[in-house]
Amino acid sequence: MKLKARLVGLSTLILASAALISGCSSSPSAEESLTIYSGRAEEYIAPFLQQFSAETGIKLDIRYGDSAALAAQLLEEGENSPADLFLSQDAGSLGAVSDFDLLQKLPSDLLTKVDAKYQSSKQDWIGVTGRVRVFAYSPERVSNLPKSVDDLTNSEWKGRIGIAPTNGSFQAFVTAMILNRGESATEQWLKGIQQNNPKLYEKNSQIVEAIDAGQLDLGLVNHYYVWEVSEELGRSIKAKIDFFAPGDIGNMVNVSGAGILKSSSKTDLAQRFIEFLLSDGIQKEVVNKTHEYSLVFPDLTPSGVPAFLEIKSPAVDLTSLSDLKRTQNLLIKVGLI
Amino acid sequence: MPQELLERNTAALRKIGTLQYFLYLASLLAVLCAALPLAYLLNRATSSDADSISTVLLRAKSINVLVTTLTLTAVVTLGAVLVGVVLAWILNHVSIRNMTAWRAATVIPIAIPSYVFTYCWMTLNPGLRGFWAATLVLILSTAPFVTLATLAALRRVDWSQYEVAQTLGLNPLKTFFKITVPQIRNQVAAGALLVALYVLSDFGAVALLGVDTFTRAISNLYRGSFDRSTAAVLSLLLVAISAVIISLESRVRSDSEARRASTKIVAEIKPFHSAKLRLVSYLFLATYVSLSLALPLMLLMSRFISNQVELDFAGLTSATFNTVSAAAIGAVIAVSIALPVGVLLQQGSRLAKLADASVLVVHSLPGIVMGLALVALGSQVGWLYQTLGLLAFSYALLFMAKGVGSVRTALAKVPTNLLEISTTLGQNKVQTIRRVAIPLAAPGILSGTLLIFLAAMKELPATLMLRPTGFETLATEIWNYTSISRFSEAAPYALTLVLVAAIPTFLINRPDRSENARESS
Repeated sequence: MKLKARLVGLSTLILASAALISGCSSSPSAEESLTIYSGRAEEYIAPFLQQFSAETGIKLDIRYGDSAALAAQLLEEGENSPADLFLSQDAGSLGAVSDFDLLQKLPSDLLTKVDAKYQSSKQDWIGVTGRVRVFAYSPERVSNLPKSVDDLTNSEWKGRIGIAPTNGSFQAFVTAMILNRGESATEQWLKGIQQNNPKLYEKNSQIVEAIDAGQLDLGLVNHYYVWEVSEELGRSIKAKIDFFAPGDIGNMVNVSGAGILKSSSKTDLAQRFIEFLLSDGIQKEVVNKTHEYSLVFPDLTPSGVPAFLEIKSPAVDLTSLSDLKRTQNLLIKVGLI
Repeated sequence: MPQELLERNTAALRKIGTLQYFLYLASLLAVLCAALPLAYLLNRATSSDADSISTVLLRAKSINVLVTTLTLTAVVTLGAVLVGVVLAWILNHVSIRNMTAWRAATVIPIAIPSYVFTYCWMTLNPGLRGFWAATLVLILSTAPFVTLATLAALRRVDWSQYEVAQTLGLNPLKTFFKITVPQIRNQVAAGALLVALYVLSDFGAVALLGVDTFTRAISNLYRGSFDRSTAAVLSLLLVAISAVIISLESRVRSDSEARRASTKIVAEIKPFHSAKLRLVSYLFLATYVSLSLALPLMLLMSRFISNQVELDFAGLTSATFNTVSAAAIGAVIAVSIALPVGVLLQQGSRLAKLADASVLVVHSLPGIVMGLALVALGSQVGWLYQTLGLLAFSYALLFMAKGVGSVRTALAKVPTNLLEISTTLGQNKVQTIRRVAIPLAAPGILSGTLLIFLAAMKELPATLMLRPTGFETLATEIWNYTSISRFSEAAPYALTLVLVAAIPTFLINRPDRSENARESS
């Protein structure tokens, strides 16, 4: 403990002096800028970023990448990271960076904007948008909608369901189940699914495409994939989504979020950026344009999906999603990955 | 001895000294470059606790992963060798119309990113999954490594023996095994090695088709638990596997067969005109090209046309420019290191052998591992980190192995007596290498450079991490769209990538004018 405290003190000192040095060396006339590592796709976030630059005159240098890969990159860079901000698609990647103490504590005026369950318990990252686990199904071939993820272990679903067990969103859901029901109950559920010969996919979008192509009846995905795939194909597709009964673990909510790196010397600017992401205008745009749920205005609902407040998703500690080792071991044990 | 002559000789000697020095320096540099990611992995691997390592290694799944990885590598390599050699043989022996176009078309598939290639196939047949699907996709996309290597070898085959065989009444098949195989064996082995290492490091195909190889397992560890230590242990295992494969390859290679004591390097080969053979050849070529090139291209086109999206010409142009410049600089750096290593290998230098092996060994590492290793090292050098220079250097590091093999085998094919004659005629070592060895080895060196260039153009994981912030390449743009399943918007970038790859491939595959000149004189 003592050592840790000393290390923290030392690194604060180093950071402070680094900030001082960089503050001195940068000429005052230089344009203000922020370096952002974004796990959020360019297509979805770039318009907001441009709007931010236009409004504030702050230049944004953005590095797009896969959230988990960017998190791994931030861990390797450590104190030397050129990044000021990390935007992630999921809580797990933010949590991994937070576990290594690379994120700054956020000010309370930002944290109060969003429900505490959608932010880090260390208060060093905050959720920006919500994404919910749902089931996608073929309305032609499925008439009896499942009420719970447990229904999917019934033999009526044999050979009809699809999952993406290597995908982060599925693993986050399984982690939530472990936290909620315990390891052995989760193992039972996974075995039940395994017995139904699920079709395994790499990505959520493949599941939706397979339902559209008539090869699959139902699959576990995030709520926006039906919209995303139909955008890509330029037509409406033969797949719909629905939630399980309110409170079912199958309706788990994950968030995309943002954190400020400790190594950043531009805390103020970075906070301004997060404030912008949580501002009324942007939050409303997110609901309309990317079909995600707003965490600031949970009563806003994207078109074609159920209302956020009706989901009654079970309580899940998003901070605990960074280490999926137990989940992966379970999936390996059952033979799904 | 006249003063003048003495001075000239000392100058020449000094020049040789400088040359040797330079060769050693370049080989040392290659060893150091390859040592960087290995040192990183060792550091990470040793920082983990023995418990978690043994849980990962000893679980039943690991054995499965090992078996799957080895089987997939073996089957794909075998398949790619068969397809590649047949393609090269047809392209070299049979009278085919539009030869240059066919040659280019059989090589260009390696420019299509594995992920895009597999996706196209899955769109066509959404049920495509599993080991044999991955085998098919990987054979189709890696056969060009063998085709290219074999073509370069066939150009240097001494056909005078071939004529003798024909006169003696050997049929084409027997002639092939008796005359051709011994002379192209080394280059085919080098191509096969590239295929094997490619399969070991490939992520796109195995991930989409759901085949559990080491690379997929490593990637899952990074994604799921950010467990860098265990991932490093698995990566080192992968390095060990590739080391075994590399030593296998060097056994297949024989040095005695490599050189022909013929002064006439290329006797003109008379192509087969038999109608039956030509028909079969056309069928084989057409099947390969349609499965590996036409089909994915058509799918991309139809996706692009069916969902009309506005084409961002400025973005496309700058991505193309960025891709070409970064990949070209990387290829030049790689070849300027691979060439001296190749020359030194000819002298039997141990350092060069070490350089050769170590460059190959790291070639089996998945892109994400190499990328993170370079992030860990590069981020400590602020002024260099995330610059075009470091990106190009990382391409060189990642793909040097693709050049070393070609250069090595190309130089080995240069007849020793020509080098001796050159020396007898008073040319010093530098002049001999420059005027005799390199021009004769040029086709091999060029195809090696092309391989590096094509591989660098489609590289993704390291590019995402190491590019200058905001620097978009064709590969990163393709990823930008495919990551949110927008294939129609990724299509123009993928098509441009193939187009850009086609130009140098086409140029290099034109009938070698210098050879023609020599033959006609």
